[in-house]
Amino acid sequence: MCDTCGCQLHHHHHADPKIVEVNQSLLAANQKQAESNRHHIEQMGAVAINLISSPGSGKTTLLERTIEILKDTFKIGVIEGDIETERDADRIRAKGVPAVQLTTGGACHLDAPIVHGGLHVLEHLAKGGKYDLIFIENVGNLVCPATFDLGEHQRVILLSVPEGSDKPVKYPATFRSADLMLITKTDLVPYFDFSMDEATKEAGILKPGLEILPLSATTGDGFERWIAYLHGLLKR
Amino acid sequence: MHELSLAQSLIDQLLELAREHQAERINRVLVTLGPFSGIVRDSFEFGFNVLKESHDVTRKAVLELETPDPVYVCLDCEKVAVIPFATPNDQMETRSGYPYPKKCPWCCLTRLSPKGGTELILNQVEME
Ligand SMILES: Nc1nc2c(ncn2[C@@H]2O[C@H](COP(=O)(O)OP(=O)(O)OP(=O)(O)O)[C@@H](O)[C@H]2O)c(=O)[nH]1
Ligand SMILES: [Mg+2]
Ligand SMILES: [Zn+2]
Repeated sequence: MCDTCGCQLHHHHHADPKIVEVNQSLLAANQKQAESNRHHIEQMGAVAINLISSPGSGKTTLLERTIEILKDTFKIGVIEGDIETERDADRIRAKGVPAVQLTTGGACHLDAPIVHGGLHVLEHLAKGGKYDLIFIENVGNLVCPATFDLGEHQRVILLSVPEGSDKPVKYPATFRSADLMLITKTDLVPYFDFSMDEATKEAGILKPGLEILPLSATTGDGFERWIAYLHGLLKR
Repeated sequence: MHELSLAQSLIDQLLELAREHQAERINRVLVTLGPFSGIVRDSFEFGFNVLKESHDVTRKAVLELETPDPVYVCLDCEKVAVIPFATPNDQMETRSGYPYPKKCPWCCLTRLSPKGGTELILNQVEME
């Protein structure tokens, strides 16, 4: 064991260090749960959308308006992620749709295990446990949520006009992970120096071919394309 | 601050590996952090060094983080280029008001799209 001093029986020498090759993603556990969530969601008959944006970019308002338009056409369920409070879930319930509030108690993002719990509650809230569309509103944060697959089928990133058109360049990892980018609060364009051109160009460099839809939940402008996109998802 | 939860999952994975290999302590941990992972290296390292103190097995562990150079695809000439991150001495061009040192080495245009680089991988652990 130890040749240097000739002592073979004593404990004071440690065993030789051992090198273990792991080569595994640190996100493997989350990824595994995410795959299982995706399967679970499909068993529920649904397509799931993960909504990510900075705080206050209009995620809940988008959902309220979308529910008003689609609730007689599709069975919709919503999972709300926030650090604290039931407020966003209450806003969704007021529209007559089942909503689960997940509070992370400080964590800046949802992860797949938390959403797994939410799916079970959502299943319980619907007769027969069936849905067409499940929206998951992530914790308001443009950085952290991007790293965690929740088991969604589509990831939608919202960028609101008051935040500025430089956000894609400044938060590239988030915009690269998007399946669709919504530019929200377009009714405010006259009051801010937001450049539609810059936002769409930079996002298009980060993720070539990324679909980008500008809309306003206040005026309803741009909603036809958003609703058409949702219909498209359900036809697949 | 998702770096803290990622550091926690690293610690969890190390404890599990130590149990599996009946090791008493972990000396060295090799992790690859992709250049486009969106994970802040210093915060991840800081989180790891705080969290490792809670376990005898990990207390002495040294984290070695490796970040490969970023790779881009040029959207204009379609060539692939490896372009190391700028150092403070590099001449910066500004795009959208932000320092933006990247230019395609083949065609000199700036529409460089990041390629891969989002990984966070535990490569190797030395234990005894
Ligand atoms: N002018 C304008 N205001 C909007 C629009 N959509 C949302 N808002 C306002 O923006 C504020 C934030 O909207 P929310 O929908 O609560 O934003 P959120 O992204 O859900 O916020 P968090 O859940 O806290 O991250 C509210 O005061 C909304 O009324 C819009 O299209 N135009
Ligand atoms: Mg909200
Ligand atoms: Zn080029």
